[in-house]
Amino acid sequence: MIGINRRRLLVASAVLATSGLAISTVPAQAFSPRSEVGVTAKTIKLGVTIPMTGAASPGYNKLPSAMKAYFDYVNANGGVKGRKITLVVKDDQYVPTLAVAKTNELILKDKVFALLAPLGTANVKAVAASVNPGRRGVPTLFVNTGYSGFANKKAYPTTFTLLPSYIVEAKIIAQYLKENFADKKIGLLYQDDDFGDDALAGFKEAGLNFAVKVPYASGSQGLSGVPATWIQKLSTGGAEVVVLFGVSSATGAALGTAAVMKYAPKWILGSVGGDATTIKALGVPAGVLYNATGASFVPATTDTTDEYIKLFQTINAKYNNNAVFDNNVLVGMNTAFLTVQAIAAAGANPTRKALIAAIEKKGASFASAALTPLMYSATSHVGYSGYWFGTYGPTGDLKPNGGTYSVYTTDSGTGAVVKSTYKRPAMPANGLPAN
Amino acid sequence: MKKSRLISLLSSVALVSMLVIAIPSTAQAAAPACDGKSPINSCQGATSDTAPYVMQVPANFNGTLVLYSHGYRPDVPVPAGIPGYGGYTVTNTPQPGPLVGGSDTSVIKYLLSNGFAVAGSGFARQGWNADSAIATNAELIATFKTQFPKTTKVVAWGESLGGFITQGLAEKYPELVNAVAPLCLADNVGAELTAAGDFLWGVKTLFDPSIKGGNYSAGAAGYGEAMGDLVKFFTVLGKLKAGVSTGAWPDTASPTGKALEAAGVPSRSALLLLGLMAGLPTQSAHFDSISGPDGPLKVTFPLAISPALAILENGANAGGLAVLATLDLEKQAGGAVFDNTKTDYSARVANERVIFNAALSGNTVIDALLGALSAANPGAPRAAANAAAIAKMNALQANTGKINVPTITMVGVADPITPAGASMRIAQAYADQYAAEKEKAIKAFAKTRTYVPPMKKLISIWSTTPAAYTKFDSTGSPITTTAAAPGTNHCNFSAAQYLVVANELTTVGTTGSFIRGGAFSFMLRKAKNLKIDPFFTPPLMKFYNEQ
Repeated sequence: MIGINRRRLLVASAVLATSGLAISTVPAQAFSPRSEVGVTAKTIKLGVTIPMTGAASPGYNKLPSAMKAYFDYVNANGGVKGRKITLVVKDDQYVPTLAVAKTNELILKDKVFALLAPLGTANVKAVAASVNPGRRGVPTLFVNTGYSGFANKKAYPTTFTLLPSYIVEAKIIAQYLKENFADKKIGLLYQDDDFGDDALAGFKEAGLNFAVKVPYASGSQGLSGVPATWIQKLSTGGAEVVVLFGVSSATGAALGTAAVMKYAPKWILGSVGGDATTIKALGVPAGVLYNATGASFVPATTDTTDEYIKLFQTINAKYNNNAVFDNNVLVGMNTAFLTVQAIAAAGANPTRKALIAAIEKKGASFASAALTPLMYSATSHVGYSGYWFGTYGPTGDLKPNGGTYSVYTTDSGTGAVVKSTYKRPAMPANGLPAN
Repeated sequence: MKKSRLISLLSSVALVSMLVIAIPSTAQAAAPACDGKSPINSCQGATSDTAPYVMQVPANFNGTLVLYSHGYRPDVPVPAGIPGYGGYTVTNTPQPGPLVGGSDTSVIKYLLSNGFAVAGSGFARQGWNADSAIATNAELIATFKTQFPKTTKVVAWGESLGGFITQGLAEKYPELVNAVAPLCLADNVGAELTAAGDFLWGVKTLFDPSIKGGNYSAGAAGYGEAMGDLVKFFTVLGKLKAGVSTGAWPDTASPTGKALEAAGVPSRSALLLLGLMAGLPTQSAHFDSISGPDGPLKVTFPLAISPALAILENGANAGGLAVLATLDLEKQAGGAVFDNTKTDYSARVANERVIFNAALSGNTVIDALLGALSAANPGAPRAAANAAAIAKMNALQANTGKINVPTITMVGVADPITPAGASMRIAQAYADQYAAEKEKAIKAFAKTRTYVPPMKKLISIWSTTPAAYTKFDSTGSPITTTAAAPGTNHCNFSAAQYLVVANELTTVGTTGSFIRGGAFSFMLRKAKNLKIDPFFTPPLMKFYNEQ
């Protein structure tokens, strides 16, 4: 293997040649104070690549406007240490090569301070390999994927995860199944990529065995006849309870097809595939979700007793054209809420380095709408780590089983699944973090 | 690939007279024959190894010679009718500069009009000829200086194998050149042969086992086998193209391939995997892996189909070269030179299988393909090289990446023959070199109290692809008759891009300083689709995974 000195490469590959002028002292390494990329006296520019169009866009395309709405709310209240936050949105259509191109634009042309909430394991991995935000020192905050590999700080030094990892989710689902359906034959429909690999690893760690496992290739859910083969396999395998660990378009295809084929097991939906907005947008009636079990780490969107839900609904009404308040809007606003705290914690003149250091140092104590704690530290870039279970109503709303949030938590390793004792701190006044 | 582009694929160089130190000792060649015309004095001759050369010297010669090395030319003729290569005849016609699009001499004219002399050799033999070509170039420089004593500076550039020769010249004889510009630089022969050979082996193993793929017989029989391979290779690519949308396999598929087909593995996924494990780019002349036709395939096409079509276009370049270069190098080395007995193709695609998971049809299909291609499958016999031949091949010129003189590299980010990773290898090697030079300077400062920073001697220019460039006709079919997009194909540079390098090369060669800052940025912007990005790190060629 050729020796690679990354640090030296950074130094040596700087663009142009310097002629060998003799000077009397070694040049100081300290540079004169200057603004960080994407930061001016009045503004901070962030960027996101996300599927705004195309088959993968329904539901996810609500995230940017939700984030913007919260930023607008903060901006209207003085911004972050006097700076207003702007968000540049690029449509990657969920195509990795396009995500690479759009991220390049964000970094090199738009010159954003940080990347925010990019979506999709393949996309984030493609960007890491080709654009390399890690080497550039560009923070990649709160990625919208639960792939456990992104918590590898060595491989992704500037990336922070937010969603509980898919391994965590699978372990927690396994615990739920053991507690509630121990005597049932269980089936699994999963996406046949790293997303599904994480799930399989989690189920294996939890010691859960399936009567039948059906993988599907990402994208094949839209192909005529394919979902019917899934249902046939699950039905033939005798699955009485079926876990769906895929995207919402696959959930919609599976549930819709099962209804037609008169196959009605107990459905357990993973968090990614349980988005009623997406399922409805695909033309599948939300009613197909009725009585299915789902999982979430944030409060139910209909829970107006929750102070975050109340605030975010108010912001949604004023700054987001009163969009349907679903999990995408909630997660988007919560992501923006965390981002504001991270920037504020980075100091009066935030730099990319300071932003990363601030999350490592203070991230675990950031206020958040979620019902599980954040796990950030100097050695961990892992976000949330738990889920509660609920049941879908006839309109597709997920409400906690028994009317209370019973949160399970674990890690991506060998840790046990336990009931969480986490008490969420009170929301800052008016949902505006201290500057 | 256009024939003209093929001819500039890899190249070589010139002559030497005896007056320069450290130049290989050769027989004295005759002085060039010059026509003495004005404004351009054209000279022809041959170096002592019989390599023909040309020199063109303007009346207002400013003292700087710009020496060019052309790219790879096969060392055998290719019969008419073979796609891409058909009708090629071996030629050692000398070439004094790059030909834009294969024929446009505007870059050469630009240099001459600005007072620079140009020269280039056709080299004594074609094929992989770096060792002899470097010696030829050294002799040619000396001959030029003798003929034109006004010469004060020499800069060298070249493309593909010519880039490799240029880099090798600067590594071996730094005293002969003031600056160099290896363009679309070829990597060392092992790396190049591994990339092309892996793809060809994969095509043979899955799609047409009658392809010999190497270990060719001696003499005319081996030549016939290789030409037969070219026909079969391009035929099977045609069948793969026809089956891209349906996933159908060629009727020539191996039993291993047929088993995969029966298991529902689409041929496009198999093709893509072969390209990824060889390290081929997933953007090509006409396929950006970004665009889709309006309608239901808007996203499915770039996600699942376009990467395979890009591999199809790029693989045509790689596989064709694999046949011709393997034939050439086996003759030079005396036996089979491609070896994948120990190659772990699963490790090769560990990252790519995540990124292109949808196009590869998911992990189950990927694992089935990798299982089928594994050394454990007797239905996918690996290629074993001849140890003595490998030793002989490895003894050929190998560039270390040492930067002795100011150097400019430029390569397309989706070049399928000389991937950007080959230029990246030079940049990485130089990173270590520069760090060492800097440490040395700091140590010297401790003694002298005078800090002389080492000069940064390498500029890496990347020719980028447009944001999106696949075009579709009214039926939604991709259009493949347009010119290749910038940043794709082999050594596919515009005149403006060549001129950026020419200006930078001649400036640093004559003044010792690069054009820099805003002026250089302006040049890049004006030329379009060029970038300097110290953080851009294309992967090294897959060969280095196993080192």
